[in-house]
This record gives sequence, structure tokens and C-alpha cells, in this order.
Amino acid sequence: MTDFAQVLADGLMNGAIYGLVAAGLSLIWGVMDVINFAHGEFLMAAMYVCYWVGVLIGLDPLISWVLTGAFLFLLSAVSYKVVVRRCIGKSAMAPLLATFGLSIFLKNFCLNMFTPNFRLLSGTFLEGMVFNFFGMAIPAPQLAASLFSLVMLYVLYYFVKRTRTGWAIQATAMDKEAAELMGIDTERIFTLVFGLGGACVGIAGGFMASYLAVFPEVGTLFSLIAFVVVALGGFGSIPGALCAAILIGLVESFAGFYIAPVIKYVAVFALYIVVILIRPKGLFGW
Amino acid sequence: MFAKRLMNGILERRVMLLFALSALILSVVCGSAFAAEEKVIKIGALFPLTGPAAVSGQNCLAAVQTAADIINGKHDFKDFPLAEKEGLLDGYKIEIVPGDHQGKPDVAKSEAERLFNQENVFAIIGSYNSSASKPASAVAERLKKIFMCGASSSAELTERGFNYFFRTAATDAIESKEFVDYIDYLNKNKGAGIKTLGLLYENSEFGKHAAIEGKKAAATIGIEVVADVPFTVGATNMNSEIQKLKSTNPDVVFGAALGSDYSLMARTMKQSNWAPKIFINYCTGYQNPSINKELGSDGNFFMGGMGYSPEIAEVYMKAALPAQEIYRSKTGFPLDSDSIQESVCLHVLAQAIEKAGAADTEKVVNILRSETFPSPLSLSGQVAFSPGGQNNKAFTVITQIVDQKYLTVFPKDYADSELTYPFPAWDKR
Amino acid sequence: MVEPAGKNRSVEGRVWIALVAALALLAVIPGAIGNRFYAHVLVLILLYASMAQSWNILGGYCGQVSFGHSVFFGIGAYGAGMAMVKYGTVPWPGVIIGAILAAAVSAVISWPCFKLRGHYFAIATFAIVEIFGRLFLVWDWIGGALGLDYPIMDDSWKYFLWSSDKTGYYAGALVLFVLVFGVVRRMERTRLGYYMRAVREGQETAESLGVNSSLVKLMAMALSAFFAALCGAFFAQYNYRVDPPMVVSLDMSMKFVLITILGGMGTFWGPLLGAAVLIPLQEYTRTYLASLGPGVDQMIYGLLIIFMMMRQPRGIMGFIGEFSGKAGKTAKKGGDDNAAS
Repeated sequence: MTDFAQVLADGLMNGAIYGLVAAGLSLIWGVMDVINFAHGEFLMAAMYVCYWVGVLIGLDPLISWVLTGAFLFLLSAVSYKVVVRRCIGKSAMAPLLATFGLSIFLKNFCLNMFTPNFRLLSGTFLEGMVFNFFGMAIPAPQLAASLFSLVMLYVLYYFVKRTRTGWAIQATAMDKEAAELMGIDTERIFTLVFGLGGACVGIAGGFMASYLAVFPEVGTLFSLIAFVVVALGGFGSIPGALCAAILIGLVESFAGFYIAPVIKYVAVFALYIVVILIRPKGLFGW
Repeated sequence: MFAKRLMNGILERRVMLLFALSALILSVVCGSAFAAEEKVIKIGALFPLTGPAAVSGQNCLAAVQTAADIINGKHDFKDFPLAEKEGLLDGYKIEIVPGDHQGKPDVAKSEAERLFNQENVFAIIGSYNSSASKPASAVAERLKKIFMCGASSSAELTERGFNYFFRTAATDAIESKEFVDYIDYLNKNKGAGIKTLGLLYENSEFGKHAAIEGKKAAATIGIEVVADVPFTVGATNMNSEIQKLKSTNPDVVFGAALGSDYSLMARTMKQSNWAPKIFINYCTGYQNPSINKELGSDGNFFMGGMGYSPEIAEVYMKAALPAQEIYRSKTGFPLDSDSIQESVCLHVLAQAIEKAGAADTEKVVNILRSETFPSPLSLSGQVAFSPGGQNNKAFTVITQIVDQKYLTVFPKDYADSELTYPFPAWDKR
Repeated sequence: MVEPAGKNRSVEGRVWIALVAALALLAVIPGAIGNRFYAHVLVLILLYASMAQSWNILGGYCGQVSFGHSVFFGIGAYGAGMAMVKYGTVPWPGVIIGAILAAAVSAVISWPCFKLRGHYFAIATFAIVEIFGRLFLVWDWIGGALGLDYPIMDDSWKYFLWSSDKTGYYAGALVLFVLVFGVVRRMERTRLGYYMRAVREGQETAESLGVNSSLVKLMAMALSAFFAALCGAFFAQYNYRVDPPMVVSLDMSMKFVLITILGGMGTFWGPLLGAAVLIPLQEYTRTYLASLGPGVDQMIYGLLIIFMMMRQPRGIMGFIGEFSGKAGKTAKKGGDDNAAS
């Protein structure tokens, strides 16, 4: 029974974190119909920022997440302005491949600058803290990351649904030309959305650096899982992304323990295929 | 109108041919090698300088360059053949030509060919990943050229009956036997009561093969395998893996996890507040000093097989210490058990060339196969190859990390400390 | 997408024959190939061009952008590998079986996937690559994570293995190249070719005109998979080894896509042009820029992709179109000349 509870807890926490990583991607996809292939590398960049800030200035991730979020907002917005903007509309594949090129560039840039050594942030406030209830071991850094992810997801959702800028974003997503006719500066909206997407993954990365090793390839698998989460949830839907992420976290956790750890990702991808065949536009897609 | 269309057609044709031709010309121009007239023996160093194993790959290259520096320069090192003399033979210098296989076997194959055919290297030292060493050494064997392999651990490499392949490190088969010898010793002499085994290994050529050898060895002393847990390299978390181990609770775990997975594994075990009674590693993140530095006290009490540690060197391999300083100046870290094997490769090869009197492959190979070489960088002090290329003097000790120092616990002749057994509980430190 | 009409097509035909003749000549002149580095680059160019063209059938001509081709590539590679290593015979039966199996697998997985549109389809193909890749890693019958290593053998056509002299590999790659490109050239003018393009331009419209889009997509997929598998078999023979991460990986899948798009998706020459630019770049930056530090070659690779996609997403064929003043003409116009309507 304790095994079951542990597996459940791990699945929920991982799921929440996947949710924050994927939320930004979902927003970008929904508004701009762009799959950002460099999403995993943005995560890696965020983790590096958190690591260096922690090592050089001594800021704890519990505080430095603001910095990593801001940095990634900028990085993402700049990527949009410099790269993606010139690719949109020209062909469906152009932004995807351009961001693929960006991902290769970022990964190797970090390899070259920071060496491939694995970096672990130690001495953080929550490090080593574990809450034990009912036989479950809940590590504090992951718990903080997942709770924070949920909060940020709600904030993002609220922003999109309830604020004027959020409505502008929704309008742009539904019909770009109509939005422009209504006086919305869609160019600014696109920049904002890309930046927000980056900020989400930046915040996620900021928390993850407190318990995961940082190295150039760290983002690869997270990237793939994020794509599947977004597609599973239905593009553009933040609640969809969260549900899909939790579902994937749970499937990964249960398949990993009750079947075999080595196929836990097979189960995740297989889940996607199964669901998408039943609902071709994802759980909440429209 | 017609003329314009014709011009467009010709233009298009020309442009296309231009593209194809320029690619061809570029290839030919860049492909021609310039012959150097200096007294140089070129040796290729093929390692994963980028990609997932880049940390180890770059260390291995630095190790080879360290050995080259020692041989080429005039160093007053005690008991270190070729250190005092400048270069080899009558004034030949060794030139290391690096190649990056990026962790991919197909790139390893073409880099090996390029190093032999275009760079005209005399031999190649490489390639860390067993999956890359295999095709690269197949190239060497087909070309009848020497391939010196340092740290690739798969026993299969020396079971192929190759004539030009030489490997200096201990294989996963040798290490597995040593692990079970130690367990047997602990059971008989210390009443350890170790009966069950769990295996936690990355799902790659290296990990899978190590697990196979581990299971074989365990069977010889009647240890039961209760958990066989391969994991995906670069996983986002290790919750299921550690939980699986925790629920089956084996007494001993054999681990094969490189780099980041190793640190994730250690930290997840800490969070789950579980550890087996002993945890012994094949050549993995355990042997990497930079990872243990990052892990800090979380890395304590893990164990592994090693052919070198700075602590062992202080006592048993004093002749290697000056070499370590050169390596440290290149990487900022002391030598480690894996990369030092690559230095050994170059050092032994150089001695063979010196003995042969010339960089003649057949002569050198005969000497490599028949002689025993003094090797200050090897724990046993010597290197000698059996048919198939395995170094039959490869020797490892089992160490345990405490406060980032490797304490040797087995075999008894080399032990400098007592084993901390069982693994102290995480919450009681 | 540039569509060759009438006169252009015969120009293209002449260029094609001239090119094949020139390449074949290289194979015949003694010592032209040998073991030179450019020989390796040429073999790779021909191989990757064939791979890209096989992807082009489904992605370029039929408009279904799949990231799953490395699965078929892998099946072909394992076909050859299993024949050579597990069964100790010549690779050829394995090659044929692998190709047919790949086509069959493609039919099975595509049937449900084709219900998906746009990015959902693309991500489903990623998922399939990941599933197959990881399953292959644990499937012991094919060697699992250990992979299959080829025995050392003398050079021969029978086993399709060479060491010093790459002429055999070059000839084989050329045959593969001529086969795939030749079939595509033929196919452009058949009914299937037109139906494929119709589906690409607008599936609902095509269906309303009586095109069985599901069948068309399926046939494109099977043909595409068949050729991808043949390329995989060649890859295995060339590298003396097969293991899952070498062949069934997202990286390999991206190569299929990238080369075609860089050259010009949906065009006949695109795959060759893409390979002729990307492969030498990849090989030469790795070997000659190593002194600049690790990863520089890949940074350049990444930047090139970004640049191409920003500047001319239609690829090199798009550049050529601009250069020779065809920028105004669209695919529709070319298509109208020959459309079966």
C-alpha cells in the first residue's frame, strides 16, 4: 500500500512539473501555431542560470526563480524577434526547423562555454529535506517545484482568461486578421506570448536545478515529454496541458513501478497514441 | 520569349550542376592531405568530445595528451620509461590527432577511417564508449592497423579474436569477479550475510553487458538476483527505478550509471531513505572526481572498482604522481580510473615502438603481443596482452568514497581502511 | 513548390542523365574513389539524398510531414544486420525482408495516424519513433542494447562489405540513389503522383473530386518506408554495426526531414541539393574545426539551419527559383499545366 502511495505521489509531483514546462509550449502553439523545438534547451538555459546564480551569488532557487524566469522571458522574446518572426507564415515547417537549429546551437554553445561537466547545486535551503507521511517519502525540492508549478499555471490561466491582455491573446489565437482589425497589435502579442512561454519553462528550470544535475543534454527528454503533453492536452489549452501532464506523470510512475522502469517512457508515448486516436485533437482541443 | 526560356533553362541547369560540382571540388580540395616532412609519429585519439559522454571523452583526450607531453619532453620522473628521453627513437615526436565521434558508432567508424587514411596516423587510441570502440576497431583490424583501447569495459571487445586490438583496462567480467570475491570474503570473514543482488544499469551497450557479467558472477557464489533494473539514459527522474529496488530490497546492488544519472540515482536514494547494504559500481560516475565533488556528502559510502585513485597513487603508484600534476594542469582535476587507461595505452604503445626500433606496425604488434611492459600508470605496475588483446595484468581494487576520498578496502594487501558496512542510513548521518 | 512543366521537364531529364553518367564515371575510373575522405562524403551524400527523397515522397509530394522515418530506416538496418550477424548469411534476403516489413509496419501505424492533422500528426510520429526506439533497446532477440556487430570479412559484393577501397560502397550508393530518384521521377507523372499532390494541396477538395485520400496517403507511406528501409540496410553494411540509438532515433528522423526541406520539399532535386550542402558541411566542420573547441561544428550547423529557414524556407530550390527570376510563379500555375482535372 505504501508503494502505491509513493508511486502516486511521485507521479503527481512529476506531472505538475511537466505541466509548467509544457504550459508555455501550449500557449505558443495555441496562439502562433509554432512548435518550439528549442523548448528543452530553454529549460537547460534556465537551469544553468539558476546554477550560476546560486554558485556565484549564493541565491537560493527559492528566490532566484524570479531571475531565471525573467532571463528566459528575454531569451525567448529575443528568439522570437530574431528568428521565429521571420519564419512564420512562410511555410508550416519553417519555425519548427528554425527552432530545431536553435536548439542545436544553444546546446553546443553551453557545451563549449560551460564544459560538459555535470553541475549540481548544493547547499540550497530545501536540500535534503524530506517529508515522510504514511510511508511516502516526499522530497521538499520536488514538492516545492510542483506546488509552484500549479500556482504559476493558475496565474497564467487567470492572466489569459481574465485580463485584457489575455483577451487580446485569445483573440489573436482565434483569428489573427480579425484581431488586427480590432486594433490589437498582434506583433506585440506574439512577442509577449513567446516571452511568457519562455518564462514558464524558465521558472520550472529554476526549481528543477535544485534537485537535477545541470548539463547540456538535460533538456532533451523534457522537450519530448512537453510536446506530448501539449498535443495530448490539446493545443492552446492550459487546463488541458495540466491534465495531460498529470496523466502522463501518473502513467510514467505507475508503468515504471508496476511494469518495468525501462519502459516508463514507452508507456507515456503509447498513452499519447492511444488517446489521440480516440480524440484526434487532444483531450481539450478545439 | 523562346530565348528567355532557353536562357532560364540553361541557367537553372548550370546552377544545379554548379552546386553538385562545387560540392565535389570542395571535397577533393579539402580531402588532399599535405605531407609533413618532420620527424613525427602521428597517433589518433578518438573520443566523444561532444554528446552525452563528453565529460569522460574530454578527460580521456587530456590523459592521452599528458602521456604525449611526458614522452616528448625531457622529464626527470623516477621509474617512468621514456620520460627522460625527448621523444621516441632518434628524435621522433608524438603528435596527437584528435577525433570526435560524438557518442555515435557511425561517426566513430568514419573518424577512424579518416584518421588512418587521411591523417595517416600510426595507431588510434580510443574510444571510451564500447559501442563506438567496436566499429572503430573493426576499421583498424580491416586495415591491419593498431587500435589501443583504454577504458571501454565490455568484455566482448577482446573476445573477437582480433590481432591488432589491445585493451588495457579491466573488463566488466574481471570486475564482476572481483566484486563477488569481495562479497564472498565479507560473507565468510565478517558474517555480512549478503544473499541477494540487485542490478541498476543504463540501458546501453556498456550497462547491459556489465549487468550480464554481474549476473554470471553472482551465480558462481550462489547470490540470487532479485532486481534487474535497466534505466533510460538522461531520464527525467529515477523514482520508479529506486522504488523498485527499495521494494525488493537487495543486500547488494551493482551499479552502472554514467554522469548525471549517477548523481540523480544517489540523490533519489537519499530522498527515499533507502540504500542496500553495499553498492558497488562498475566504471561510472563513481570514478569521476568532478561528479563526486558536486555530490558532496551525498556520494559517501558508495563503492566501486578502480584501477587508480589519487589516494592509491600516494602509496602504491608514486611514479604516477608527476604525471597527475600535468593532467591536473590541463583539466583541473586529478587523474581518474578511466582516463588514466588512455595514458597507459599511449605509454605502452610508445614503449613498443621504441623496442621495435621503428614505427612499423607488424613489428610493433609482435612486441605488443609478446612482451610485458613496465607501466607506472597501472596499479599492477605492468601491462601484458593475451591473445585477443586483453591486458592480463589489469588489476583493480575496490574502494569506498568517504568525504570525497577514495578509501581502498579490498584486496587486503592494498586496503588502507576498513569498510563502512552496512551503508549507513541516510537520516542517521 | 516548383512543378516542371513541358519543356522544363525535358531539360531536367537531360540534367538527370548527365549527372548519373558523371557519377557513374567516377565509379569506373580506377583510383577515383579509393579510400579518400571525399569518397566517404560522396557515399554519404548519395545515401542521405536517397533517404531524403524517400521521405519526400510522403512529406513533400503528399504533404504528410512525418518524423517517424527512422523507424523504417531502423527496420531495414536490422534486416541486413540480423541476416549478417544472427543468421550468418548474406545480407540480401534481410534487406528485402526488412524493406517489405517496413512497408507493412508503415501501413499499420499510418492507418490510424492519418486521421490526425498538422502538428498532432507530427508529434504522433515522434511518439512512434520513441516507442520503437525504446522497445528495440529491450528486445533481446535483435540484440537489444548490445547491438549487432559485423564479423570481419574480406571485401565482397556477396556480403556487400569493403574496407580500404570504397568503390563498392560508392557503386551501391549510386544504384540506390538512381533507384529512388528514378522511381520518384516516374511517379511524378503517374496518376498516383497527381493524386498525392492533390491531397497535399487540399485533402477535402481532393476527396470531393473523388480521390481516395486514405489510400493515396497509405501508398505514399508504404513506398516511402520501403525506400527508407533500403537506405537503412545500406547504413548498417557501411558502418559494420547496428544498434537502436544509431538508427531509430529522433536525430536520424530529423535528418530525413531537414535535408529535404533545406533542399526544397516536394521538388525532385531538393533532396540531392540538401544533401550536397548539408553533408559536406557536417563532415568538414567536424573534422577541420575541431581545434576551435568542442561543439563549434554543431553550432555552425544549427546556425545554418536557422539562417536557411529564416531566409528561404523553400530551401535551395527556392533560392534557385528566386535567382532565375521565377519568384513570381507559384506551384499552382505549374500544376495547372498538367493537372488532371
